[in-house]
Formats: sequence, C-alpha cells, structure tokens
Amino acid sequence: MSAVELNDVVKRYGALEVVHSVNLNVEQGEFVVLVGPSGCGKSTTLRMVAGLEEISGGTVSIGGRLVNRVAPKDRDVAMVFQNYALYPHLNVAENIAFGLRVRREKKDVIDAAVKEAAAILDLTPYLARKPADLSGGQRQRVAMGRAIVRKPQVFLFDEPLSNLDAKLRTQMRAEIKRLHKRMGVTSIYVTHDQIEAMTLADRIVVMNGGRVEQVGSPMELFLKPANAFVASFLGSPPMNLLRATVVSMDGEPRARIDAADAEAAVLKLPRASSASLRADQRILVGLRPEHVAVGMDASADVQEIAATVDLVEPLGSEALLHTRISGQSIVAKIETPADVETLLQIGRLQIPVGRLHVFDAESGRAVNGHA
Amino acid sequence: MATIIVGYFKRLGEDLRRDWQLYLLMLPMLLWFLLFLYKPMEGLQIAFKDFSPFRGIAGSPWVGLENFRTLLDDQIFIRAFLNTITISGLGLIFAFPVPIVLAIMFNELQSELGRRFSQTIVYLPHFISVVIVAGIVINLLSPTTGVVNLILSSLGLDRVYFLTQPEWFRTVFIGSNIWKEAGFESIVYLAAIAGISPTLYESARVDGASRWQMMWRITLPCILPTIIIMLIIRIGNLVEVGFEYIILLYQPATYRTADVVSTYVYRTGLQGTQYDLATAAGLFNAVIAFALVFAANRISRKVSTTSLW
Repeated sequence: MSAVELNDVVKRYGALEVVHSVNLNVEQGEFVVLVGPSGCGKSTTLRMVAGLEEISGGTVSIGGRLVNRVAPKDRDVAMVFQNYALYPHLNVAENIAFGLRVRREKKDVIDAAVKEAAAILDLTPYLARKPADLSGGQRQRVAMGRAIVRKPQVFLFDEPLSNLDAKLRTQMRAEIKRLHKRMGVTSIYVTHDQIEAMTLADRIVVMNGGRVEQVGSPMELFLKPANAFVASFLGSPPMNLLRATVVSMDGEPRARIDAADAEAAVLKLPRASSASLRADQRILVGLRPEHVAVGMDASADVQEIAATVDLVEPLGSEALLHTRISGQSIVAKIETPADVETLLQIGRLQIPVGRLHVFDAESGRAVNGHA
Repeated sequence: MATIIVGYFKRLGEDLRRDWQLYLLMLPMLLWFLLFLYKPMEGLQIAFKDFSPFRGIAGSPWVGLENFRTLLDDQIFIRAFLNTITISGLGLIFAFPVPIVLAIMFNELQSELGRRFSQTIVYLPHFISVVIVAGIVINLLSPTTGVVNLILSSLGLDRVYFLTQPEWFRTVFIGSNIWKEAGFESIVYLAAIAGISPTLYESARVDGASRWQMMWRITLPCILPTIIIMLIIRIGNLVEVGFEYIILLYQPATYRTADVVSTYVYRTGLQGTQYDLATAAGLFNAVIAFALVFAANRISRKVSTTSLW
C-alpha cells in the first residue's frame, strides 16, 4: 500500500485547469521531490495533498484512506511552509507545541515532545526566544520542529529553503536529509531548485505546465531524461540542446546542426536512437556540459567538431566554456587548466557520441528509448 | 558646549542643503502646525487672567490659578468632569471592543458578497451627519410615535421617556454612538487582520486548529499591537466626549448625567461669556488627557512592548 496515492488529480480555478491529471504513488518512508519551474502546479498539487486546496477531479489517498473530503487536520500530515509560518507572538517552545496544544494533548506529553524535537534540531538554547530574534535557518528549524512533534504519517515541505541564502540552504538541505533518515517518515517536498531535488530525493517528479513530465530516481532522470524539458531542467548548467535535422550519411542517420550564417556541422548519433529516426526529421541533440571534452583524441566513439570560444567562466577547479558550434551556443564544463587564457584559443571540442541525447523537435520526446 | 551647538547647526545646514526637496515638502505641514496648533496656544494665557474682551489678552490682569480654583469649587464643573469620565469610561468598556469583534466577524465571513454587503451596511451610519443621527434617535425613542415605545406598549409594557430621564441618557448616547461608529472603526482592525500572513492560518489548519482557536490564538494576538495603539489613543480622548452629539441629545432634565466638560465650556464660555473660566476648563481637560495618554503609553510599553512613542 502506498503512503500517498494521487490518481488523475486535477485542479481547476473556474474554467482554468492548472493541474492536469496527475498520477503519483509515494511509497512508505520515501522522499519524493516535486520539481519544476514557477507556476508548474507543484505547490498546488502539494496543497491538495495537505487539504489546503480543494481537489477538482481525481482522488488523493493517504495511508490507503481516501482524503478528498477530509479536513487538513484529519489527514495526519504536517506541513512546512516557505515563509516558515511561525506565530510571531509565541516563543520557539510555544510555536513547536502549537499543534499539540490545539489538539489538547497533556502538558507533560507536550513538554516531552518539544524537548525531544528541540534536541533533534539543536534548538534547545533558543526555546524562550521569539521568531523575530532567530536567524532564517533557526526559524526554518522551528517550522520543522512543529511538524516533527505531531509525528504525522506524511511530511509536506513547500519550498522550505527558498528564503535562505545559498550557504544556509546547503546546510539545511543536509539537515533535512539527516532528519528523514533518522525518522523515516514519508515526505513530499516541493522545490524549483533542481540541486535540492537531486540531493534530497529518492524519486523526483518533474512537473511542467500542470503535468508530470517524468518520475524517477535523480540519476535516472539525469541520465535518461524522457524529454527535452526534463533534460534541460535538471543539471547545472543545463543540458545543451542543438537544433538539427536528420540526414543520412553512409547509410547511417546523422544530425546536421542548423546553421544560419555558419557552416553546418554534422554529428554522429548514438546507435540506440538511430533506428527510431527518419530522414529530414527535426530533432534536438542534447549534450551535458560535463560530457563535452577538450584535448581528447578523436576515435570511433568520440567526434571532434569545430567550435569557437566566446567566453570562459572559471569556477575554481572547473571552468565553463561558452562556445559556438555552427552558430548555436554550447556550454562545456571542463577542468580548469593552469593557464585559463589558453582556453580562449581552443578551436575544437570532442563529443562522445554515446553521451548524446536525441529528442524529437516537435514533441520534445526522447527518441533514444528513455521514455 | 559652544562647539556642540556650532556643530549641530553646521550639520543642520548640510542636511538642509542636501535634502532641501524633502524639507520643502515638510514646510506646508510645519506651517499648518505653527499657525493652527501652536499660535492659538497663545490664547491659553486667558486661563490665568481675569479676561475681558474689551481689554484684550495683554490688557487683562493675571490672576494666577484663581480660575482653576473657581472651577474646582464649582459643583457643576465637577459633575461635568465626572460625567465626561463616566461616559468615556463606559464607552471604553462597551464601545471599544465592538469594532474588534465586528472586524473578526467580517474576517470569518466566507462569502465575499455577504462580507461586502454587511460591511457596507455597518459603515454607512458613519457618513450620516450627527444632526441626522440625533434626529433618528429622537424619533426612534419618541414616547408617542417612536418604534421602541410602540414595541414596548404592544408588549404591554409602560412607555419610557428615554431622552428626558437621566438614567437612560448614557445608554442612549453610547448605544447610538456604537451604531454610528463601530463599523467604520472596524476598518483599522480589518486592515490589521489583512496584514496577517495567510500561511499562519493554513499552518494552523494543518496542525488541527478550529476556527475558534485560530481566532483566539492567531487573529487576536496578531492584531494586539493595533488594539493597544487604538486603546492608548482612546484613553487620551477619555476626557473628550462628542460635543455636538451631546448638545443635540441633552436637555436640562438630563444634565445630571449628560452634562460634560465640553458642553460646560460651551455654556460658560460662549453663552455665559466667562472666557477665562472656559479656557481654564479646557486646559484642565487637556492636561488630564496628556497625563492619561502618557501613563497609558508607559504602561503599554512595559507590558506589551507596543507604544505610540
């Protein structure tokens, strides 16, 4: 039995449908991340699970129980909000205890639960402080403490780290992961940050335009994106997508890169996708920046291609190389050499053919069997 | 010391040069304050003089605190002062919470249409002239044709002469004031409620709070700073009671409970031409009001950390 089950869930505001037939099974103890750009329907989906939004169509079940018409308080879920939702007039201990107090738990039970949660989250020294006297990270921990003490079946996180700075976000990400390992509670986490999704999730649900684009483990999605959207959404920098047309060369399908004012380069395509391609088909050739190589020997599996370097962005041990192939931009992530300036002189890039992804330009779907 | 003063004026000069546009914007307000609030204070000296309009303020002799002594020996003034405090105090107890309750009720209304309709209904009386309101009240409570007395007589009860019986005056005055102003005053609290983050309520809903619990544990504590500020302002106005409305409703038969300082000042100063006594009464009122607001602010700062200054 799934801990949370969404079947054909739809959300409409009047005539406007914002979530279209979402299906998802979250297993017991699983950490599932809903990720996607702003307005893709991920938060709305989460709020439907929480009961904060009415479900326009389909069913939501928690622990095998249909909860479409069940009030949020009776769904046995706890939610952590983006802006922490801490009560400004209550101190940390009272904020953590709020959910238990309104449920009229006994005082000693509340005290024990607050103490335990505070210890887990390193909040013991701050129990008497008001939210205004806490840092962003501490506030977020209080919000999590409030969820923990309830001991719910499911934790729901709605972009909980979005208001934190980059350093604190990394720190809190690790804390959330540790907390999940320790407690093992089923969690659904919403974020627009693909790094958060990749690092936290057991499974990622990529959403776009109110639809689920792909569900899978982080590496599955990274290595085998089902479509161009997933390919370009996950990974930093995102996957390079080159517009191209399928041409036949030596009896093999190749990709002729669209070139407006430059000479069109022709790329070999991976065998897995060759069978599904037809001549003149419009495609997108995908290549992750970290798979583009410089200074490698060309071979049957590695194709060398002429490129001009526009810009070099040194990131420390790695550098981003902004280049152009047949007039289309392509970013390469390579190891930073001792002399960064030499990168500007590079005239050729090496592309491992096996690492290429091919997507149909019209539908965006992968044509190398990753559906 | 001289260096400090020179330094101060040097800094002021620099500020004026740098932000002259801002100071220019401030100028009309400053002039308004000086001309209409500070300049008239010059007239306060009348309270300490044996004032005669023919001799003018400067020509009238100083009498020290004589006018204040006269006032405090005047049983009518003492009665008016106590009436003022009683009417304001009862207003504080009965009228002050009504806008808060109204605002919370509006906030709880689920239907947008219902909310707009009921808000309009309760805001409207505020825009009716106090003269018309007094007319409505007089008509409603009329012993012969008033709706209230018609209902009382249809129930077999005796007709009540509400506006001529001193014991009914305060009830009528405060009750009709609540009807007139409570809706409009609720706007301040509604604005405070609108400032509460909706996620606080959503979080509470998930945590299991009922609407009643959310009202007590979220709405009220979150608008408490606004309530305190309004309370301090109200306490500052304790010695001021709506002068026009009292004048319109009271009559000699109800002076015992209806005569307040402002009506006393009106009768003594304008009708009795005892300007010095009336000014002393007004000043006395103002000093008491200042002391009250100062004390309320201080207590509030200690108890709740919210204060006017």
